[in-house]
Amino acid sequence: MTGMFAHDALLVSLFAVLFGAVIGTLGIRGHRQDWVQLAFGSVYANFVLVTIATLAMIYALVTHDYSVSYVAQVGSNETPLFYTVISLWGALEGSILFWAWVLGAYSTAVIWINRKRAGNLVPWAAVTLLVVALFFAILLVWPANPFHSVFPVPSDGPGPNPLLQNHILMAVHPPLLYLGYVGMSVPFAFAAGAMFSGEVASDDWIRISRTWTMIAWGFLSAAIIAGMWWSYEVLGWGGYWAWDPVENASFLPWLTATAYLHSVMVQERRGMLKLWNLNLMVGTFVLTILGTFLTRSGILSSVHAFTTGTIGYYFLTFIGIVLVWALAMVGGVSDKLKTRGHLESVTSRETVFLFNNLFLTAFMFTVLVGTLFPLVAEALRGVKVTVGQPFFDKMTLPLISALIFLVGVGPALPWGSASRDVLKRKLLPPIAGAVVMGAIGLAVGARNPYAVLIFAFVGYSAFANLREYWIGMKARHAAHGENWGLALTRLVGGNRRRYGGYVAHLGVLLVALGIAASQSFRREREATLEPGQSITVSGHTARLKEVWGRQEPQRAVIGATMEVVENGKVVATADPRMNFYPTQSAPVPTPQVISSISGDLYFNLMAFDQNGSHATVKLIVQPLVPWIWFGGGVVVLGAIIGVFPKRKRRTVPATARQPVPAVPLPLPTTGGGEA
Amino acid sequence: MSKRNWAILVAVVLVATFGWLLYGGLNKNVVFFLTPKELLAKGADGYDVPVRLGGMVVPGTVQWDEKTLHLQFKVTDDSGTVLVHETGAPPQMFQPGMGVVVEGKFGRDNVFQATNLMVKHSNEYHPPKPGEKPEEMYKTLIKGSTP
Amino acid sequence: MNWKRSIIAALFAVPLILLFAYGFTKDPNNIPSPLPGRMAPDFRLPVFASGEPPTTLPVGDTVHLASLRGQVVVLNFWASWCLSCRDEHRELSAFARRYAGKPVRFLGVLYNDFPAPAINWIQEMGGQQYPSVNDATAHTSIDYGLYGVPETYFIDGNGRVAYKQTGPVTDSILTAKVDSLIAALPAAAKSGAAADSALPALTPARTSPKGAP
Repeated sequence: MTGMFAHDALLVSLFAVLFGAVIGTLGIRGHRQDWVQLAFGSVYANFVLVTIATLAMIYALVTHDYSVSYVAQVGSNETPLFYTVISLWGALEGSILFWAWVLGAYSTAVIWINRKRAGNLVPWAAVTLLVVALFFAILLVWPANPFHSVFPVPSDGPGPNPLLQNHILMAVHPPLLYLGYVGMSVPFAFAAGAMFSGEVASDDWIRISRTWTMIAWGFLSAAIIAGMWWSYEVLGWGGYWAWDPVENASFLPWLTATAYLHSVMVQERRGMLKLWNLNLMVGTFVLTILGTFLTRSGILSSVHAFTTGTIGYYFLTFIGIVLVWALAMVGGVSDKLKTRGHLESVTSRETVFLFNNLFLTAFMFTVLVGTLFPLVAEALRGVKVTVGQPFFDKMTLPLISALIFLVGVGPALPWGSASRDVLKRKLLPPIAGAVVMGAIGLAVGARNPYAVLIFAFVGYSAFANLREYWIGMKARHAAHGENWGLALTRLVGGNRRRYGGYVAHLGVLLVALGIAASQSFRREREATLEPGQSITVSGHTARLKEVWGRQEPQRAVIGATMEVVENGKVVATADPRMNFYPTQSAPVPTPQVISSISGDLYFNLMAFDQNGSHATVKLIVQPLVPWIWFGGGVVVLGAIIGVFPKRKRRTVPATARQPVPAVPLPLPTTGGGEA
Repeated sequence: MSKRNWAILVAVVLVATFGWLLYGGLNKNVVFFLTPKELLAKGADGYDVPVRLGGMVVPGTVQWDEKTLHLQFKVTDDSGTVLVHETGAPPQMFQPGMGVVVEGKFGRDNVFQATNLMVKHSNEYHPPKPGEKPEEMYKTLIKGSTP
Repeated sequence: MNWKRSIIAALFAVPLILLFAYGFTKDPNNIPSPLPGRMAPDFRLPVFASGEPPTTLPVGDTVHLASLRGQVVVLNFWASWCLSCRDEHRELSAFARRYAGKPVRFLGVLYNDFPAPAINWIQEMGGQQYPSVNDATAHTSIDYGLYGVPETYFIDGNGRVAYKQTGPVTDSILTAKVDSLIAALPAAAKSGAAADSALPALTPARTSPKGAP
């Protein structure tokens, strides 16, 4: 019954969004404010209805109602409650439902907050969001209906994909990804609204869109890091990024959104790059849909691919409509977007932003071409090929290096034009950071030129960004006599976007450093050990203690206890395992990681003897991996600082101010420090 | 030339260079996906270039030495068979008769030296094959040991 | 709106959409089956579920594919643990019932499963029109290059694989394929439909009733 009821809710929501989109359009055209209000109302109604359907699905999952097709597909009586609930997004239909729910939540929030704004921008944005919601409602009512009734009702199901129930991060990564992906619909809707309403020539609308872009961008950054972390902890090969189509799909919109967050400042300050920003906004949205399409349609081979179905054709149609419509729209308004300002000097922050955008866009196209090339090659030449790591590494490393360098140059340069003197004062001191980090890299044995270069550039840019903080704090300290802590909070509070940006920069640099170090200094060995025997990899020795097994409710677990030995003493133990699920003929590897600030010891159980007399274990030593996760947390922290609303009263005399309690910044929700 | 034409020229040159770089990078770095039959049909051209070989593991040809970690097996489509050597434990899901993709190079000794072994697993859930129940692999371990 | 620019810009979308549309005609995860057009690999497998009249076979008998030559054979690989098999089952079974008098033989092949849960499954699904054999060693499944279940093979009167369906079959696919293959049979076979209900195409050999080696 739950199934029928929930499906009815989805059907009603389909009509609600359809009605809202039509009445909204008519209302705007006919200047009927009450009709526009009805469109807003259907945004809220859709959210309520999809929420009901989502709760019904969770209820069906928890009560093991196998008459609901989705539950019969991913549920099982043995699965623990927690994994039962998160299997909501474990397979195709459930993830589409969750997607629709996130879209409903975003739409409701953004329309509610801006409902009183004058003009047609918000109504058109609401219509656009309703059209996107219509697409997902169609999917949910027909091809991806998770509430099919199954008859006869099975007594048990196969349970969720074991790879997805093997790690806690699976509870975190997909929701973050959806929050990031779906969040990009909001700025897109406002871009569309600006084009429809003619407000595109003004710059006011980008103030709304840029905040929502930053929110979505923060979620997307967190999702990418969480996804890397998940594949590192679960897949067992000791890597976190393989340029897999699905990984690329999440990375592409991140690149264009990052470009937008920078270039939008050029538009605000100098009135330039309007058309370009519009393209980035629309492109980011198209890339999120493209990413979903690539992962859900199964047209590219990937370890993460969902089951293929007819749903791909719906996505193809939708992406076709969006692409044609968006390009036509942007092309149509392009001559309205007259640039106000112009580039005054090559040595200015806007020039750096131009290069930043150039490189990020080139990066995006490189990844896009590499991802789609197998399809092109098969279409044009009829050969099956894959584009592997070498292509992506070779093509992107120069871009990555350049971008890391620009992270240091941008904040140091002023808007407009910088004199030779300013250039010297700003750009020379960070070289000290570059020299130190480059030397450290060489000293610990980095020989790959790119590795050394990235070490040096990370040093340069970290120095430059921290120096901006230092300069600002010093000025406040001198002018207002504030102590350093107060100076820091007031500095950040006074220009959250700017200083949040610098924090995000530092996070990116930490991630880059972690990746450069772990890639350069990764060492691994695989050996068959008897209890008591040990394996040594670059100075780290681990001894096999025993091979053991135990039965858990939903699975059997085989593990090998490894003791890390230093100077004859056991300093840590790890239990790499294999989990045997009853519905799977093959066990699921469960590697174990011992992390410290200097790096990871990564253990994976490769094979074992039935009597426990020996086991084959792989040990990978990778320095600085935890810095990647920590850096991801810092990036998110930067986004949170940047999004936080400005304080209302900004120019109160210093004496009249109450002592401001240090603003308790919300901690990053994921990718946090202690790995 | 006007400023506008300069800008267009610069953009064209940039895009062309970038496209050329991409094209060159792709040409050098794509890995062909071949079946044993296609690989054998390439003759001398098939030697010593990175390839992904896809096919079925021939039952009865899998040999693994747990001491030296040497793994060998044969991969077949219906008309060609290639011997594959690899160092390392077989993936935990490895079973004779299943689809695999091996990455590596086909040597002049007609042995495919694999650097990477990927198991093709369908989205469906498979119960154990008769005689290959996982329980038989681990039940001796579960009885008499401590976690 | 500047319509000229609008249209020019929209044209850029065309190649990308064409590329994706092309992508749908390919499944990157499938190594193309070499089978269509070739002789279907032969097998002798024991019946573990008899099916329903008039297309029953006694449990324990061995089905020899080669002896079914002269009529169309539809091989459906399935398993009780496979959800898609549930989807196709009713249509497949109903279709087999409807075509019971025609020169076409339906055969289920159990893959990677045990007879006991499979028989339970058949009961749970409300019966299965055609008999099923058990591929206990999975050798036949390997011969056919099976990637997953369900997969269905259509074999013509000469014993060649005419078509392969990956994933659930539907009534329309079945109708199209089976009708065209029946039409291609020599006239004698088509008129000899009476022979069908007598189930002549069995080898007399009996194996253990359990059907497992």
